[in-house]
Amino acid sequence: MSSLMTTAKQNGLGLCPKCHKVNKIESEPQQCSRCHGWFYPRKRNSIQYTLAWNIAALLSFIPANLYPIMIIYSLGIGDESTILSGIGQFVDQGLYPIAVIIFTASIIVPLVKIAGLFLLVYKVQTGVRLKPDKHSKLYHVLEFLGPWSMLDVFVVALLVAVVELGIITSVAAGPAINYFTLTVIFTMIAANSFDPRLLWDKKEINDDMFKGKQ
Amino acid sequence: MDNRLNTKHIVACHLCDALYDKPHLKQGQTAKCNRCGSTLVERKVDSINRSFYWSIAGIILLAPGILLPIIGVTLAKQYHHASLLDCVVVLIERGFFMIATLLFLFAIAVPVVRLFGAFYISFSFKYNRLKPSMLNFFRAYHHLDNWAMLNVFMLGIVVSMYKLLDDTELTINLGLFSFTLFLITSTMASTTLDQDYIWDKLEREFIDDDS
Ligand SMILES: [Zn+2]
Repeated sequence: MSSLMTTAKQNGLGLCPKCHKVNKIESEPQQCSRCHGWFYPRKRNSIQYTLAWNIAALLSFIPANLYPIMIIYSLGIGDESTILSGIGQFVDQGLYPIAVIIFTASIIVPLVKIAGLFLLVYKVQTGVRLKPDKHSKLYHVLEFLGPWSMLDVFVVALLVAVVELGIITSVAAGPAINYFTLTVIFTMIAANSFDPRLLWDKKEINDDMFKGKQ
Repeated sequence: MDNRLNTKHIVACHLCDALYDKPHLKQGQTAKCNRCGSTLVERKVDSINRSFYWSIAGIILLAPGILLPIIGVTLAKQYHHASLLDCVVVLIERGFFMIATLLFLFAIAVPVVRLFGAFYISFSFKYNRLKPSMLNFFRAYHHLDNWAMLNVFMLGIVVSMYKLLDDTELTINLGLFSFTLFLITSTMASTTLDQDYIWDKLEREFIDDDS
C-alpha cells in the first residue's frame, strides 16, 4: 500500500463521515456522491463546541457529587448517600473491588475525559511541540471511555426498580442521578464535537517548516 | 476531471486525513494508517452470512431477554422479581423520566433496532434483493454505532447485586442470561457487517458514474 504523502484537505478532497467515501469538495457543505449525506471537510466550529459542552459537563459534575444519588429508607428513616459516601460505605464493608469499579467509573472516568478534551483543544490552539500520534490515541481512549460513567446511574436505576417491589426497605434515586446523567451526556457530545484531524492539520505546518530548513 | 476518476481508488484516514491508494485486501486483512496507526480499511470474513445468523439468533432471544425477570430479591421471606420492562415502568412511576428513557433507549430500543437493521441488511445482500432505498437505510443504520452502552449496563446489574447483597437474598434469573446473550448477538450482528464492502457494492449497483 503506497502513501501519497498528502492529506485529503490539501488536495481539495474530503472524507464523508458516514460512508467513508473520498469526495471532491466543490461546495461547503458537500453532498456525498455515494450516500448523499451532507458533510464538511472538517467538523464545523469543532473547538468552540467541544469547549462549550465540556464546560457544561464540568458544571453539572458539581451538583452530581453534592446531592445524594441514592436514598435508602429503612424503618421510615431515610439514609442519603452521595457518590463519594456510597464508595466509602463499600470500603467500610470491605467490598474493595466494587468500590474501585464505582470510583473509577463515576469519578475518575468523567474527570479524565473532561481534562483530556481540554488538553486536546489546548493543543490544537497552540500546536507547541505537538505529537499528534500520541494525541490521536488519547482521543481514541476518550471516545471509548464515554459510556462507562453511566455505571452508577444504571446501578441506582436497577436498585430502585428491584427494591421498589419489596416492602421493608425501599430505595429512592436522589437528584444527583439527573445531574450525573447530564454530565455523561455532555462529555459524550463534547468528545463527538472534537475533530482529531485538527491536530494533524497543525502537524503539517510544522513538518513543512522542518523540511524547508533541511 | 482526473480528480473525479481518482476518488474511486483513494482512501483517506478518518483520524488524520492522510491519503492512500486504495489497498486490495483479501478477507480477514486490515490496512492501517502509517501516520497515526488507526484502521484504514478492513475486509471482514464472510461478513453477510455471519451477520445474518447472528441477527436470527438475536431475534429469537429478544422476547425472553426483555420479558423474563432478570433479578429476583427475597425480602422478609417474600420473593420479588423484576424484568427489564418492569424496571422501566417502576422508574416512570417514580418520576425519573430521564433515567427511564435512557434505560429504555440503551437497553431495549437501540439493540432491538440494531438487530433488525442488521437482519434486514444481511438478508437483502444474501438473497440479492437490493433496493436503492438501501443507501439511505444503511447510512441511518450507522448512526446507532455510537449508542452502544450495553456492556456498561451489564456491569451495572452485577454491581447492584453486590449492593443488595447485605441483607437480602438475590437471585439471578433466566432473563438475565437471555438478555446477556441478546446483547452479545445484537452487537455481533452489527460488528460483523463489512461497511466498506456494503458501500462499494451499493455504489456499483445504484450510482451511475457519468453523473
Ligand atoms: Zn491516520
